[in-house]
Amino acid sequence: MVEAMEFQELSNRHRVSGVPQTSINDGAGTVVGAVPESQLLAEIARVAGAAKA
Amino acid sequence: MSEKLLNEQIIGQIQEVFANLKDPVQVLFFGNEKDCEYCDDTRQLVEEVTAISDKLHLDIYDIERDAEMAKKYRVDKTPGIVIAGRKDEQIHDYGIRYAGIPSGHEFSSLIHDLVTVSNGDSGLSQETRNYLKTLDKPVLLQVFVTPT
Repeated sequence: MVEAMEFQELSNRHRVSGVPQTSINDGAGTVVGAVPESQLLAEIARVAGAAKA
Repeated sequence: MSEKLLNEQIIGQIQEVFANLKDPVQVLFFGNEKDCEYCDDTRQLVEEVTAISDKLHLDIYDIERDAEMAKKYRVDKTPGIVIAGRKDEQIHDYGIRYAGIPSGHEFSSLIHDLVTVSNGDSGLSQETRNYLKTLDKPVLLQVFVTPT
């Protein structure tokens, strides 16, 4: 968890526009909003590769 | 003594949730004497929360004075919180970190994470677990939130 107001520089770098926003591997992937588990997993898989989900 | 952050009613509600705690949890707090607007409040908050159950252990560190611990737990922001498991006096790090004060909505995230770590169950689906096991490198997830 990163509190966006306290760490604005980091939030700006990650272009946080709404919360929650999840950044994967320092910006390689992004998920905006509280999404279902499968959607977050799909983005992790896109960024991290490895076996199919 | 400064005023409490948690009132009796909230403590009562947390006690009900903490009745389900299983294994001990180790919380590590990292503060910073310089330029840290929310360190004092965050420290007080984790002190009050961890005092509610005997299963919750808290250690307080300073990111500069305890630079080695900060490095070991990869904490580079203050206030910083590590929520780890504690079994047989050993700390089991699951990579859970908080940067900033867990207030507002995030207060329930904090309580939820303490329960999750204590119970050793992420609540993720089997499909997700199967996939995550195939990862061969660490993946960094940073969830940006605001306190409201």
